[in-house]
Amino acid sequence: MQRTVPSLPLAPSVKVKLINAGFQVASDLIDMRPLQLCKEAGISQEEAVEVLQMLRDDGQPHQQRAATESLTALDLLHQEQALGSIVTFCSALDDALGGGVPVGKTTEICGAPGVGKTQLCMQLAVDVQIPVCFGGLGGKALYIDTEGSFLVQRVVDMAEAVVQHCTLLAEDTEQRQALEELTVEKILSSLFLVRCHDYVELLAEVYLLPDFLSEHPEVRLVVIDSIAFPFRHDFEDLSQRTRLLNGLAQQLIQLATQHSLAVVLTNQMTTRVSNGQSKLVPALGESWGHAATQRLILHWEGLRRLASLYKSPSQMEATIQYQITLQGFRDAPDEPRPTPASSAVSCPSGNHSKRPRMEDLS
Amino acid sequence: MEWEQLDLNPRIIAAVKKANFRSAKDILCVSGPDVQRLTRLSKADVQRLHVCVAAVVFKSKPLSALQLLRGECPVLEAGHRLSFACPVLDGLMRGGLPVRGITELAGESAAGKTQFCLQLCLSVQYPQENGGLNSGAVYICTEDSFPIKRLRQLITQQPQLRPDLPPALIRSRHFSDNIYIEHAADLEALQACVSQRVPVLLKRGLVRLLVVDSVAALFRSEFQADEAVQRSRHLLAFSNTLHRLSHEYGAPVVCVNQVTDVVDGPNPGRCDYGLVGSKVLPALGIAWANQVMVRLMLRRLPGQVQSDGRSSAPRKLEVVFAPHLPRASCLCGVWEEGVRGIPDDHSDLQPQGSS
Repeated sequence: MQRTVPSLPLAPSVKVKLINAGFQVASDLIDMRPLQLCKEAGISQEEAVEVLQMLRDDGQPHQQRAATESLTALDLLHQEQALGSIVTFCSALDDALGGGVPVGKTTEICGAPGVGKTQLCMQLAVDVQIPVCFGGLGGKALYIDTEGSFLVQRVVDMAEAVVQHCTLLAEDTEQRQALEELTVEKILSSLFLVRCHDYVELLAEVYLLPDFLSEHPEVRLVVIDSIAFPFRHDFEDLSQRTRLLNGLAQQLIQLATQHSLAVVLTNQMTTRVSNGQSKLVPALGESWGHAATQRLILHWEGLRRLASLYKSPSQMEATIQYQITLQGFRDAPDEPRPTPASSAVSCPSGNHSKRPRMEDLS
Repeated sequence: MEWEQLDLNPRIIAAVKKANFRSAKDILCVSGPDVQRLTRLSKADVQRLHVCVAAVVFKSKPLSALQLLRGECPVLEAGHRLSFACPVLDGLMRGGLPVRGITELAGESAAGKTQFCLQLCLSVQYPQENGGLNSGAVYICTEDSFPIKRLRQLITQQPQLRPDLPPALIRSRHFSDNIYIEHAADLEALQACVSQRVPVLLKRGLVRLLVVDSVAALFRSEFQADEAVQRSRHLLAFSNTLHRLSHEYGAPVVCVNQVTDVVDGPNPGRCDYGLVGSKVLPALGIAWANQVMVRLMLRRLPGQVQSDGRSSAPRKLEVVFAPHLPRASCLCGVWEEGVRGIPDDHSDLQPQGSS
């Protein structure tokens, strides 16, 4: 652990004094006493105490980080698999995402108004609570609502459907036992809601998140619906917006990995005109496109609602069909389509899926 | 900002003062490394500062959805709806309009949009247990002058529209005293109205419903086709004001919108919200649509509907999107006493029915 003094998270003036006094690496400092350090480096006693405090605090996670660095790819794979993912209740989308919305990563859902972004978020907030014995995560959810479109009535619908679904599935005693605790009230009481009215409140809430997550370690999902709404108002200086958004994205990724969370963000669509052709693209500009690990775009095609996995480090690009029912976000029904020609064999992930797939669309 | 109130080391507070930060907002809007550079504080100090400032700015704690459902948080009351004063329409809307958020009512001319708005202006004046909000309404006209004669007629016909309510209750309401009418002839006047006069009325509790009839008229007339960027900026500022008012005072906002013709041919930039076969779409494009929570569309259908021996042109009210509603529609007619939905056996509940 040869950390150099300039790389320490200290005030610049203190660092200069330490270096001038001949301290090069952190290990030079670690065994000092405050008074001794104060004399040798010519810093105040208070500053000396703080330096040593910081070194001790920093030592712990630093060693852990060092330990992580020696992990093999196989260990990482096991770790990632152990985190699991949140099912969406639309099996076509689950397949496309590789089992659901992954925990420990950030996922952005973009789409035109009314296509089902909020519905998918609410569905995830309910689904994350499915008990472990039913293949769920048994976690809790935090929903940060910036648009004011979180209507609890709708969550009640979805929670009822999930409870009913699990009731039908219950087979062994463990599942029946878990079922007794899985009620609509229980689901609602494990779904936390915060409403932010502008971007300052949203930024503040994200700074407060680590404390909340330490108090509620069961939280496995944080939803921000939507990230675009507060950031598309009152910004004269777009470069400041970009900086704030980048900072926010970084904080969210950090939270996702440190607290083993799935972070789900929604984004609006905007029209971009290029070469006289207009098309719909996700809002907040080009650089925001790098923010989330995965990007899912929901869109209409005629009467059908489609979800396209647009960016993902681990999954193939895919477009699937879904529908929004009274119960929530679901697979599209098996409808006799006008051209049932050649889509039968082209699905690589096994033939257990009976749903219409359209992987050749994107 | 009184920095001394913060629960922080005096050394950090001194550094913040020295760096000329004026408000908590300033600090939150500057990234960690920048604050570090400006204040010459260590990373851990800056983190402490951020968390502490964030707690000052943002006081609301996360609530559980169960608390919300039970109405334990009065600021976010979830269940209450503003009734349309018709059981069929309320059935379609699961009780009526959500109390917070912007509801858009789009439709061609003569589809009956203004009729709906007038009816809501009366319905809002009933007590909460009768589906109202026990307060008045502001009606902002931007197209035509306010249809005062029709309003008078609706008021005298209230007992016919609401046979479920005791006549004494209806008589006790002074309907026309509680409707504040504003005319806005240009965007400047409209913005002044919603940012200065309307907040005063809301603050005094005189009104709890805001109707803008219509948003499209001014935004469509004041901008040229090539000023789309400017238009959408104004539109965002306007909708932001409405959004704030609605959430701060728990007052539903109803915006009437015009429609625009669908030009044939593929256009990847057009979002049709799954309204296939519809020849018209709500005006003002996706910039406006992003700001709307509930979008309703009203169409006038050919033919006649009968009720009590009277006939009216049938209209179809369709939910295009809403976070709590399925896509559905119902038929309704406009009568002397107001707008009424036509119950099941006539209405088509096909999710995608179009004319």
